[in-house]
Amino acid sequence: MTDTNAPSPPIIVEMIKVSKSYPPDIKALADISMTVETGEMFFLIGMSGAGKTTLLKLICNMETPSNGLIEVSGQNIHQLKGKKLARLRQKIGVAYQDFKLLTDRTVAENVAIAMEVSYKKPPIISKRVKDLLAQLQLSDKHDTITGELSRGEQQRVTLARAVANSPTLILVDEPTGNLDATTTEKVMNLLNKCNSSGATIIIATHDESLYRRSNHRIMELHRGKIRQINGGVQV
Amino acid sequence: MNFWFAVLRQVGRNLRQTWASQLMTLLTVSLSVLIFAFFYLIYTNMLNVGGKLGDDLRLIVYLNDEPGPEMQEQLRRKITDFDQVQEIRFISKADAYERFANQLGDNKDVLKDMPTDFLPASVEVVPLKTLRSLNQVKLFSEYLSKLPGTLKVQYGQDWVERFFYFIRLLSIVVILSGSLLILTSIFMVAYTIRLTIMGRQAELELLKLVGATNNYIRTPFMLEGLLQGFFGSSFGLVSLFTLYQWIKTHFSGPGILNLFSFTFFTPHILAVIIIISILLCTVGSYMSMQKFLRI
Ligand SMILES: Nc1ncnc2c1ncn2[C@@H]1O[C@H](COP(=O)(O)OP(=O)(O)OP(=O)(O)O)[C@@H](O)[C@H]1O
Ligand SMILES: [Mg+2]
Repeated sequence: MTDTNAPSPPIIVEMIKVSKSYPPDIKALADISMTVETGEMFFLIGMSGAGKTTLLKLICNMETPSNGLIEVSGQNIHQLKGKKLARLRQKIGVAYQDFKLLTDRTVAENVAIAMEVSYKKPPIISKRVKDLLAQLQLSDKHDTITGELSRGEQQRVTLARAVANSPTLILVDEPTGNLDATTTEKVMNLLNKCNSSGATIIIATHDESLYRRSNHRIMELHRGKIRQINGGVQV
Repeated sequence: MNFWFAVLRQVGRNLRQTWASQLMTLLTVSLSVLIFAFFYLIYTNMLNVGGKLGDDLRLIVYLNDEPGPEMQEQLRRKITDFDQVQEIRFISKADAYERFANQLGDNKDVLKDMPTDFLPASVEVVPLKTLRSLNQVKLFSEYLSKLPGTLKVQYGQDWVERFFYFIRLLSIVVILSGSLLILTSIFMVAYTIRLTIMGRQAELELLKLVGATNNYIRTPFMLEGLLQGFFGSSFGLVSLFTLYQWIKTHFSGPGILNLFSFTFFTPHILAVIIIISILLCTVGSYMSMQKFLRI
């Protein structure tokens, strides 16, 4: 339990009784209520098909909930429109499970896209891109067309793109599925670095090694329902 | 500054990726501008010609009797009831006789034995020099012939009617080719842009996800439409000018073109045609974008 005397940190993601069904009649999530605090690193686990990806998609407004309320940074993200929605999305970096890379563009162009959208200056963009690719051991792929990369490499490009614009909320879906232990460590180092510079991170994963020895909160989903929430700072 | 940099970069990418269909659209737009402008040019020149010919146009109403001042007033009112006219002139029998005699000049003698009132009195009506009133000269003459005391109405010659029939036909052609221009520029541009959008669906979706504003996504395509409109119409007008010059040099001499002194569009009209094409093409791309952004 957290110390009740300390001011509780502001909440960045709040879900109240959220359900999501896909047509025709697939219940992907049912009655999910949870909060994620600003600056937290939060793990989302559960077996395949449990609804992890669906939950992340709801948070970044790729899908709309069938029921319930979702607030991100205090705003109901599914009621936002136009400029406001765009501005909020610029603050959310997402590494998609299916990557969503532009396979006919170079690695550098893919990583840069989020920064371009928020009008960062070209020299700043190219410096940040080089820096990130170095951290993920992709420096030699800077000008490679992403379609030609291995899945593990594409996965890291996706991650680099998600964190490039220094978002306040980073959603990572299965970041290490195709990676060896060493590369996994590099990925986690990068995420930890983002986290310690203030970003809230939500990671959906099957990989027990990512959270086993950490004391981060872990939420386990089972068939669209919360089975348990573990961890957190123990007193 | 950064916004326009991003926009131009995107336009460059689009052009590189879909240059073939972009070129097709450009050609279609310039061809329809060419067709429209061609007919419009003929039309405006014919209007000029019509205006010149119309200068001599008058209706002559021959009267049974010499109208007294009261009768004149009544006629004047009846005529202006139908339409405004430029001028109404009364010509008495004596005036007519004198005119005729003057026209005969040295041969005046033949009139020696005729009474001075053998020619009928008449009213000369000069219609306004607007196309509308020229157009209805026939109706006007029918109206005049039904006035009390009218013997007969004479106006110009056959050509007046035929000429204005021709102009009316031409104006229909201008309207048709104008509609063609509107349709092709809006729909061809909308179509190319839709093609581009489909080719870049994944990218545009991603742009939305990473927080691109609608303007960020839309502006490059609007700019593309704008460029299509500008270059398409300019190209069409330049072709027309070339054609015009060619005709002028090859058919110079004492021909019909010289008689009517054929002229090209004024810069003012050129600018209007270009601006309208730009607007149409931009509207076309805007329509495509709206459809996409709503999805
Ligand atoms: N677009 C969709 N249309 C229909 N059903 C869907 C759709 N997306 C997901 N589902 C279903 O919703 C359920 C949850 O899927 P989800 O992708 O969230 O699982 P997951 O926990 O991410 O699984 P994994 O670990 O394999 O990635 C699954 O039963 C899936 O078949
Ligand atoms: Mg998943």
